[in-house]
Amino acid sequence: MQTLIKTEAVSLTGLTKTFSTSRTKVQAVKGIDLQIPTGQIVAFLGPNGAGKTTTIDMILGLTKPTAGAAKILGLDPPQAVSSGRVSAVLQTGGLLRDMTVKETVTVIASMHGKSDRINEVMERTGLTRIAKRRVGKCSGGEQQRIKFALALLPDPDVLILDEPTAGMDVMARREFWSTMRSEATQGRTVIFATHYLEEAQNFAERTILMSQGKIVADGATAELRQLISGRTLSASFTSEDQGEQAATFDQSVQITERNGSRFAFQCQNSDRFAAALLGEYQAYDLEISSPSLEDAFIQLTKDAS
Amino acid sequence: MMTTYIRVEFARHFRDGYNLIFALLLPAAMYILFGNIPSYTAFDLGAGNVKFYLMISMAAYGAAVSTVAIAGTVATETMQGWGRQIALTKMPPAVFVGSKMIVAATVAGISAAIVFALGAATGAQVNEPWIWGASYLIVLLGAMIFACYGIGVGMVFKSESALGLASGLMVFFAFFGNVFMPLEGGMLDAARFTPMFGYVALARYPLLKDMPSGVEMAPDPLWMPTANLVAWAIIFALFAVVATRKAKARQ
Repeated sequence: MQTLIKTEAVSLTGLTKTFSTSRTKVQAVKGIDLQIPTGQIVAFLGPNGAGKTTTIDMILGLTKPTAGAAKILGLDPPQAVSSGRVSAVLQTGGLLRDMTVKETVTVIASMHGKSDRINEVMERTGLTRIAKRRVGKCSGGEQQRIKFALALLPDPDVLILDEPTAGMDVMARREFWSTMRSEATQGRTVIFATHYLEEAQNFAERTILMSQGKIVADGATAELRQLISGRTLSASFTSEDQGEQAATFDQSVQITERNGSRFAFQCQNSDRFAAALLGEYQAYDLEISSPSLEDAFIQLTKDAS
Repeated sequence: MMTTYIRVEFARHFRDGYNLIFALLLPAAMYILFGNIPSYTAFDLGAGNVKFYLMISMAAYGAAVSTVAIAGTVATETMQGWGRQIALTKMPPAVFVGSKMIVAATVAGISAAIVFALGAATGAQVNEPWIWGASYLIVLLGAMIFACYGIGVGMVFKSESALGLASGLMVFFAFFGNVFMPLEGGMLDAARFTPMFGYVALARYPLLKDMPSGVEMAPDPLWMPTANLVAWAIIFALFAVVATRKAKARQ
């Protein structure tokens, strides 16, 4: 018989961070409890200022928590970092413009004691071709790829990415995630922060929503998706009665806003409802929109409370 | 891990023409300019001649400026997120600072060596050969106190142009520190309190040590430049520590 003790990849208990200046105190992270099992791919979703980066900094030991603790694979953050079991793609800066790509990778590899992995990692992240280019001359997407390569050097069990695609155009984002998908998912635990709903949907099996330093929702990404998959339709009617009548189209239709004879609805089957609005209910100025991240937040914070 | 880092650091510095000019060529050019004015440079002075005196001055200036420029990058690079990148490896931050200091000392050493070589080639002379070595060592070791100054300025302003300013300010310190040309009277009295005075006076001490006091260009008693150097070393070290703490707290 063998007893397997399963350690969580990341475990946060009562994690709190307060930044104090001489005049004000800002509570960036307000007591987070979280368990992430090994092998899971998790998205931290939230707007700017939600506390994602501060939380990640504490997981990595770059910032000391005011209260509570973070453990990675049962280890304290500095231990986990120095043993190379966790690594990260940081959000801002982190590269020196006048170094070449190859120099950057070589230097960081030597600091990890993994100089044998330089060529392999550069090959796999597509950096070999731009090895001699100076970092300052690389595009935003290429710079993120360099940072990604640096994070892969120690061959970590837990990989943390803090808004890895911030500032990239759509094509570069897509390319980044396809490299990511092939390189980082072989049994690794991946945690990434993003404010793109789409990235969470496409890549993470679990999504944690953060807002104002707290976790407002935590669950399978599919559930979250369902929650906010409906469309919002707004239209003007010739009379208010007609608008109210339209709301009875089917069970999923709900009035979310009304302003005189202009109504906003939420519904599941937006195509059929839109056709009916224009035909049956003589609506005009029809607008169809998918819910934004903000809508999702409002929805989810409402559900959570 | 340190050797790889130091190797790449050298590659970076020698790729950057601007740095190279200020650290290596400017002091050498200034020595050639000032050290070869025939009207006075061949005169005897202390245990050697005026050329030897000027050679020490320019070597000291060059070594100090290179140290400021390179040590200052510790600060600017840390604040650009490179510090966080390093914090995610197993290399301790002290090794990062240590590597930079080795690079700074090496470049300062090369800069001073070029001026000394030029001096030897163009007639800088001294009666006792050990004075060559002693002056060079004092130039090199004393330059290290300016590393803290560079780090401090870098941490306060966080930009590379600030390092340019810090190096520029060294010209001012050099003028008022009796480095470029001998000061007299009230100016000299004030100069005794400026940061480069003790450093360059100590480097010249082996050359001038046997001059009777009262003679023109005679050295101050040894305790004066020593006290100046120690005091400024402490001031710069405190400045670097305070500036680093403030910069990190605001990060």
